[in-house]
Amino acid sequence: MKRTFLIALCVLTVASVALVLTLPGHQGTAPVLFWVTQNDPVKRETIAVFGQWLAQQGLPPVEIRIDNTGQVKNGTTGEPKALIQGASGMGGDLIDVYLNQMELFQATGMLTDVTDMAREDGFDYGRTYPAVRSDFVIEGRQYGFPRNVDVTMCWVNRDTFARYGIPLPPHRWTIREFEELGRRFIAAANPPGSRHRVFFLNRVWPPTLRRSLGLSTFNETLTRCTLDDPRNVEVLNLLYRWTVEERLLPTHSEQEALAADATGWDSSFSLFASGRFAIIYEGLWALIRLRPKGDLHLDAVEPFNGGFPNTEFGTGAVAIYAGTRHPTEARQFLRFLASEPFNLLIARSSDSLPPLPAYAKTDAYRRPPGHAGEAEVKDAFAAAGRDIGIAQSKSPFVLPSITFRIDTEAIEEVLAGRLSATEAARRTTERINAEIELRVRRDPELARLYAERLAIQRQIDARRAAGRPVPAAWLFDPFHLAYYRAHGWVEPEVKP
Amino acid sequence: MSAGRPVQRWLTGMAFLLPSILGFCAFTLVPLVLSFAMAFTDWDILRHNIFHHAPVKFVGLENFIRMFHDPQFWRDFGNTFFLMLGLPFAIAGSLVAALLLTRTGRRRAAVGPALVLATLTLVASGLVLLIGGMPEPAVWFLFGTLAATVLVAGVLTGGTLYRTLFYLPNFTAGVATFVLWKKLYNPHSGPINLALAPVLDGVAAGLRAAPHAWAVGLPAVCGGLGLLIIAWQARRLRSEDTDSGPVATAAGALVPAAPLACGALWLGNSAAVAAGVAVLGCGVVAAVAWRRPRRYGPPLEAAAGLGTEFGLALVLVPLLTLLAAGVALGASLPVLARTGFEPPSWLGDYGWAKPALMLMALWAAIGSNNMILYLAGLSSIPVELYEAADMDGASPSQRFWHITWPLLAPVTLLISIMGLINGLQGGFEMARAMTSGGPAGATTTLSYFIFIEGFETGRLGYASAVAWFLFVLVFVLSFVNFRFGNRHAND
Repeated sequence: MKRTFLIALCVLTVASVALVLTLPGHQGTAPVLFWVTQNDPVKRETIAVFGQWLAQQGLPPVEIRIDNTGQVKNGTTGEPKALIQGASGMGGDLIDVYLNQMELFQATGMLTDVTDMAREDGFDYGRTYPAVRSDFVIEGRQYGFPRNVDVTMCWVNRDTFARYGIPLPPHRWTIREFEELGRRFIAAANPPGSRHRVFFLNRVWPPTLRRSLGLSTFNETLTRCTLDDPRNVEVLNLLYRWTVEERLLPTHSEQEALAADATGWDSSFSLFASGRFAIIYEGLWALIRLRPKGDLHLDAVEPFNGGFPNTEFGTGAVAIYAGTRHPTEARQFLRFLASEPFNLLIARSSDSLPPLPAYAKTDAYRRPPGHAGEAEVKDAFAAAGRDIGIAQSKSPFVLPSITFRIDTEAIEEVLAGRLSATEAARRTTERINAEIELRVRRDPELARLYAERLAIQRQIDARRAAGRPVPAAWLFDPFHLAYYRAHGWVEPEVKP
Repeated sequence: MSAGRPVQRWLTGMAFLLPSILGFCAFTLVPLVLSFAMAFTDWDILRHNIFHHAPVKFVGLENFIRMFHDPQFWRDFGNTFFLMLGLPFAIAGSLVAALLLTRTGRRRAAVGPALVLATLTLVASGLVLLIGGMPEPAVWFLFGTLAATVLVAGVLTGGTLYRTLFYLPNFTAGVATFVLWKKLYNPHSGPINLALAPVLDGVAAGLRAAPHAWAVGLPAVCGGLGLLIIAWQARRLRSEDTDSGPVATAAGALVPAAPLACGALWLGNSAAVAAGVAVLGCGVVAAVAWRRPRRYGPPLEAAAGLGTEFGLALVLVPLLTLLAAGVALGASLPVLARTGFEPPSWLGDYGWAKPALMLMALWAAIGSNNMILYLAGLSSIPVELYEAADMDGASPSQRFWHITWPLLAPVTLLISIMGLINGLQGGFEMARAMTSGGPAGATTTLSYFIFIEGFETGRLGYASAVAWFLFVLVFVLSFVNFRFGNRHAND
């Protein structure tokens, strides 16, 4: 028995040594960086182009490996794997950070503050779209650089509209126009006696709808949730009517079913191409999924609005892990994201708008090889990003993933008929404000910031009550900033 | 023997045990102690991690107090218990499966009828496919073919194939099973709904064709069946041979209460009337059940037979409630049938999501280790007892209730305790993979709640407090079950 034990011990020791010797970094001279991102063709091409760029710059080679385990599909929920690994010192060297994750990851301290190096290396936030800064800049400090800048629009399948003899929606349209056109479409596409299988739109993004009515999730200083507002009640009632009564949109269960038919959002594209969705509400990256579906006649129009045209605008940024053993190489990668080769790659791929706005005017973006007919749609996306795109409202006092979960649950309860819209709006607000109160109470640093913001909020309220404009610097919520500017409620800004 | 030998032997033994002890300490003991300490602190992964070293504050019972005031906690607590309602059915299913799988020796006699039945099923499925075309009839064809194949193969190979088939879910990886069931539950393309759709269409057509017959017939049939079940329950409780003591009899008499109250409410009566109907129904059963003295043996203990009554109630109450729904819905069914019946949205509908998960768990539980334990228990029952019962002219039912069931009581106790523990701790993987806890939190269990609080919002202190509350709950319920059940199991 003792011999068996000793033999087993020896074998395990030899195996461990062999494992250590075969680990990345032991085989070659180039440092190996792990990039926590999705493993798709664009990312693989990005790595290849980065290698070429390093060679052009005369820099030593770097090997980048993708770590795609546990990646979320839409970036709307906090991803525990990246969080737990990062907070416990085991994170990837480069981390893709999506909309709702930035605040969470930054709060743990696992992201490197790149403000100074960005200024030195030319990838500071001034080089990209001002509207998406809040997705990678927190309290004036930069924590990454955009890899893909996405704006969401309504994709229209012209063939589907033609099939049922329904006119195409205008480029800018109202809620009433949406309802009228939607009802006509549904009546034509789902004759009486048949099962309801054709929908007008795949989904609505409630914050965009609320914003179009002049309402944000938070107040100007992001210190309080403001969803206990008649405009939110109106939005919830509209969602109920469109989903449950008029069936313009699929219900939650139908969405689940459609998602179960294929992986991720793929089902939406298949159904859109086959005419079961007349319109889908997605980003530019939808083109990558729609191109293989055949020769579709596509159009892109703005999301319908209740008076204030707007749409989602945000970015997935690449951040450097604070515990990386290769900070220099990681820094080079961020520099590469602001370079021409990478921006041309993104422009060609149609994964998103290029991080540097100037590249949205190039032919590589507007007419990529083999897709010369996409210029009109591409221009529509670039214009939407420039004119009506607004980043998400994210309070430093509550995690966006918590806000998202609470809001989603309330909407689902309304759609399931378990809560009235008024009650749902009240509960959502109470829950989010309770989360804010809890976090502020437990974090002294946050409490100080909260007190400062409350003082500013009181001044804003006083000025608004008196009908006076407020300084733009007081408006921390991106929606309020855009809304106040559009209505002339901001003090004249002195441009440097 | 030298003085140093025991020490040497002890050291050798410890050397062998050391890897296991170290592993236990590193991955179980230390995290356990740490999580207990964390439950009384404000430990938040955002502020207390390898990069941030803010001081961890002792908050006393604040996390526990917050937990008891948290509506989400109570909702998920309720969800956990709702999903555990399937436990008695899972145990009963395992027992039935084990009983069926021990029935051997009739293989030769069954081959002929099984082949005939299988052939008929195949031909019928083929005809349905031929006449109806794809895709719904194809599902029926698939089911028919599968059923026929299993039947024939099972009869030809004896119990071995059935035992393997029943145990199969236990071999299958969890997530793979969840993905499979997600496909099965798909409201549009899932085989379950594809099979249900023509049935529901047929029912709707039948209702439209003869609305008055249904409006009157269904309530009459359901009402009649319900009364029969209540009468059977009263008669059973009244029987001179019953093993139920006074407390168990009273519990058995309460069975019709909830279904009668629900039926009265659904028929539009006020809560007071519904309560009155329930009391009246229970009173009638109790009056009838007031039985004569026991014919044989000493007087029964007050709580004797309570477990049996509880188990029966778990079957009878849902059944009676369904029948009450039939009575109440009868009149409105023809109106509902005008627009047709849609098959359920299993995972997406708030009302169906939990039952859908329960059904899946039931499928997995029937053929699980519980069945193996029952098979082992059944094989340990002396054959002489059955032979003696046969000589006394006992019926199969009497053989079961007076020999099999009492002798399997220790196994049932073990299974119920394990089921209770698994039920309270479980549901996370299933909900995470199939519903993400939705819709509207309908399938978020306590373990999922702990995951959200710990790893999505980073509040490890609060998550630990909930985890320790869950531990106490599991401990107390298991202890009660063990102490109470063990006494009866060993009687």
